[in-house]
Amino acid sequence: MRSFLRSREALVGMLFVALLVVTGLFNPNFFKPESIVEIFNASLTLVLITLGEMFVILTRGIDVSVGAVAGLAAVVLGTTLNLGWPLGLAVAAALATGMLAGAVNAVGITLLRVPPIIMTLGTLGIYRGLMRVITGGSWIENLPQNIKEPNLWNLLGIPFFVWVGLALLALTMVLTLRVRVARYFYAVGDNEDGAYLLGLPVRWTQFAAYTLAGLFAAFAAVVFTSQIGFVSMNAADGFELKAIAANVLGGVSLTGGVGTPLGAAIGALFLTAVHSMLIFLGVPGIWDNAFAGAILLAVVYVDYRVRTALELQQRQARIRGDLWGGEPS
Amino acid sequence: MNLFRFLRSWEFFLVVLLVVEIAVLGLINPVFFNAENLLYATLDFTHILFAALPLTLVIITAGIDISGVSIMGLASITLGLAWVAGMNIFVALAIALLVGILAGAFNGFFVAKTDVNPLVITLGTLFMFAGLAQGMPALLDKLGFKAYGSAGLAAYQYEGITGLPDEFIALTEGTVGIVPYPLIAVLAFTVLLSLLLHKTRFGRSLYLIGVNPKAAEYSGVPIRKILVWAYVLSGFGAALAGTMLTSYFTSARADLGGDALLPIITAVVLGGADILGGSGAVWGTLLAGLILGFLRQGLLALGVTSDLIQVVVGALLIGAMATKQLVHVFGEYRLNRKALFRRNGR
Amino acid sequence: MFSGVPVLKGIDFTLRHGEVHALLGGNGSGKSTTMKIISGAYPLDAGQLFLEGEPIHLDSPRSAHERGIYMVPQEPHVFPHLSVLENLGMGLPFAAAELRRRALPLLEEMGFDVQLEEQSAFLSIAQQQLLEIVRGLLRNARVLIFDEPTSALTFREANHLFERMRRLTEQGIGIVFISHRLGEVMDIADRISVLRDGRFVLSEARANLTPHDLVRAMLPPDAVTGKEEAKREPRASRSDRPVLEVENLSSEAFSDVSFSLHPGEVLGLAGLVGSGRTELCEAIVGLDPHASGSVRLAGRQLPHRTPSLCQRHGLVYVPEDRHAHGIFLGLPSLYTISASVLDRLGRWLLNERRELELGDRFVRNLNIKLNSLRQPAGTLSGGNQQKVVLAKALAVAPRIVILDEPTRGIDASARQDVYRLIRRLTDEGVGVLLISSELEEIVNLSDRVLVMRHGRVVQELTGEAIRLDRITEASFGLAPGGESS
Repeated sequence: MRSFLRSREALVGMLFVALLVVTGLFNPNFFKPESIVEIFNASLTLVLITLGEMFVILTRGIDVSVGAVAGLAAVVLGTTLNLGWPLGLAVAAALATGMLAGAVNAVGITLLRVPPIIMTLGTLGIYRGLMRVITGGSWIENLPQNIKEPNLWNLLGIPFFVWVGLALLALTMVLTLRVRVARYFYAVGDNEDGAYLLGLPVRWTQFAAYTLAGLFAAFAAVVFTSQIGFVSMNAADGFELKAIAANVLGGVSLTGGVGTPLGAAIGALFLTAVHSMLIFLGVPGIWDNAFAGAILLAVVYVDYRVRTALELQQRQARIRGDLWGGEPS
Repeated sequence: MNLFRFLRSWEFFLVVLLVVEIAVLGLINPVFFNAENLLYATLDFTHILFAALPLTLVIITAGIDISGVSIMGLASITLGLAWVAGMNIFVALAIALLVGILAGAFNGFFVAKTDVNPLVITLGTLFMFAGLAQGMPALLDKLGFKAYGSAGLAAYQYEGITGLPDEFIALTEGTVGIVPYPLIAVLAFTVLLSLLLHKTRFGRSLYLIGVNPKAAEYSGVPIRKILVWAYVLSGFGAALAGTMLTSYFTSARADLGGDALLPIITAVVLGGADILGGSGAVWGTLLAGLILGFLRQGLLALGVTSDLIQVVVGALLIGAMATKQLVHVFGEYRLNRKALFRRNGR
Repeated sequence: MFSGVPVLKGIDFTLRHGEVHALLGGNGSGKSTTMKIISGAYPLDAGQLFLEGEPIHLDSPRSAHERGIYMVPQEPHVFPHLSVLENLGMGLPFAAAELRRRALPLLEEMGFDVQLEEQSAFLSIAQQQLLEIVRGLLRNARVLIFDEPTSALTFREANHLFERMRRLTEQGIGIVFISHRLGEVMDIADRISVLRDGRFVLSEARANLTPHDLVRAMLPPDAVTGKEEAKREPRASRSDRPVLEVENLSSEAFSDVSFSLHPGEVLGLAGLVGSGRTELCEAIVGLDPHASGSVRLAGRQLPHRTPSLCQRHGLVYVPEDRHAHGIFLGLPSLYTISASVLDRLGRWLLNERRELELGDRFVRNLNIKLNSLRQPAGTLSGGNQQKVVLAKALAVAPRIVILDEPTRGIDASARQDVYRLIRRLTDEGVGVLLISSELEEIVNLSDRVLVMRHGRVVQELTGEAIRLDRITEASFGLAPGGESS
């Protein structure tokens, strides 16, 4: 029970399900498969960006440039496609752009020792600016049909990209929970000095985290470009903050070393679903942000109270143990 | 402060940078040598300064407040709604500023009473305040109150609440001699905050908390109270920024200031504040804000697009921080070398 | 070398196969720095390391591990959110099954009885230490460095550890054992070296040494080794009303502690590290809100104490860890001195003149060496940093001062300044509660001594009974005159 209470995935998961049920009771249309699939489809971009951001936060860093990286990758994708590049090559270029942008962050943070928030705030401006420099400030439209097609594919009634999202989620789950080297993300964030003294490649781990954040932002760029069929200049604008909020909501702690991809994904799903839920509840969409912010604050507050209460309980148990348990140790 | 120390300070470096910048821009385009133009140009970015100056205090405590950009919109829309409700525009202004103070107090209490990271808290309130600002007019309208002003919903969605009275617009249009009112207000705000920071118990406590909160607690500094006030000031500054923009754009909007986060934090960090706490000064923030603002104006005047300017500002921020880090590392290295040779020499 | 302050000044150190080489020295003498250099955590400014006769160059802990050097740190580096098995394998190129195969026999040999899947947050300190040892063994370490491994262990746990260390030396592993407990060192070491102020002052086989030799080597040559001064007249008569009364104070680190402190009295608080002394003092000044029991200052009950409330009632605490809890390193030294009395420097505005006067007064009185009061506290030497922290406490003009390890890591002359200061305070009628691990200090300065063990006061000594051996016996839980440890 204690470990369950402590698990943020459980807390947010329950809250999420409760809200889904309330919405469904209020408006039965909400439980139609199409609505659910639509929520998944709409949340994909944020889920992918959030998963990338998770690696950075696990190492006790922060990356506020991921939205801009996604935008930049989308611009590269759109531009190369319109230049007549084959789809595969254009996607590869977009993914490479994302990784490169993440690597630039990593160099500034691990090599030049610029604090992560400053470094990525700076590159946020740079990448957003570069987007417009590349395109001259206009949207990229008239994309070839081949980029829009994958969005229409589906299997068992579930869109192709939802499958891709699930596959990437499963991959990160396996990676973070089972692969030895990927556990370095946790070790570095949990206890950086300890990790160094144990001989872990701390700087390289951080480097990998920022690069992965860039790569996942580029995945997101490919998905939303295919979904909407054009690239606007404020594509993925503000997603960096949403991705951080989704991680925190899903139990990925900004103090590093704690959290799972599943939690992060639930957080992102939750933040996106708020929009659909409010609409089904008859609340105008402009209240999205207010609800998202309030839920985030409520969750971190409840988490704080539960945490301190459990700590107090443990302390008191230890005092009792000392008093009655003979020789204390 | 003695002269020698001033000459070696970061502030002095910023002064030189500002002078050089204006000189270079002026040589390229003589418009920049016209004092009136130069001062008038500040209107475009005084809101950055209003928000960045008190944010410096928060960053000195090793905290952060990113919700200011939402408080700007919240204050603006509050002012508009109060005015639409028939209040005197200056009463409406006071209410808007009060809302900023309350928003800051909310942040402050949350930061002071829990151990949750201030970035998470103000991220939450960033969404919440923005949402409130967006939702409030719709809610009031639904309740039967004509919240969108005389022009109705369509006009509101396009240009916000317009038709604000002239005496309010005059707050940003007016000048003393050639100095616009907002710039005077910024200078007064800087002087006030600087006094607060360097001459009072409150200001000293901010530094102590930022450098070593445990030691501050052991020394009897009332940490929670001080933190709440720091965030209150930050909220107040953001509300000032929001109402100033409302006057400048002659309309109250919920989304004012949405893109100001990068320049605000850049101004504070370039101004010399350490994001990890314990250092920073409002004069540095003021100078850095001016440098960034004029840079933007200058590049625009030279025909550089605003997109490229973003790139320049971002690069400037990273460059300044990297230089600082390298200077620090080199300084440590030199100290150690010196000590080693001193010892071996004996 | 740290910010231009040399910690070590030309040392030579040798470790042989299968021996336990103990490294002794006061805090700040350079023990930990030496070992961090040998284990690759700190770079070497000058000099050369040899392993098996070959010169080696270490640039990171990893390079030390590759050469079979592993340091078991004082605070084990545990990743609390990961499992025990993962903690063991972190940084090693083994898959889980392989890791388990290699680790199990080692765990068994070390008597490490714990579920490998368990979360490491639940390990006891002793288990965490075993985890660190096994980490070293998994890396085929030939050199194991133990940095004060027993400081947080119970007597029994420590003995278990020593057994295991002996077993390791039988396999030819060389062990460096850092400690400040003479009894342990005499028990386990084959050879003993003593560091003082960054230099070796003694290096001998244990058989040729007595504990007395070690004590003499650790103290500065000019130090007073016994209570050589004439026994001072007790400055306070017991009939005085106590300034501080503590009754039945309990928390998880100590239980049922009662004592009183009189004006002008130095009450020494002795006991091993981890016996609950620091936690007791923190509870007295209100830093532990969950402690139960009562504290009276000058007869007045203070139920909801905070550090600032205690300050207002004339009680100040000078914490043990001055970097973490006492000083503002990056700010001008003056800011630390005045931090506790900002409210007395003006209601709203700080009176700069008065602040400078305050600073000057303490610089003179405490003989603080600095270029200017604007000099950042972080650039001062350890002793002067400690004086700045003391000045901060004394600026309050307290009636009671709690000094927690006031001379830790400071040089001999600063030490004397601190002793003089304590005498002056008591002459002025201030009550002093003195915690120190340096028993000579307690013996020389105290009018009365309380000895703590496992969170309880086990002995009170006064007058002639205040002797090194009596305190040591009580600290280790031995009957007076019994078998010494």
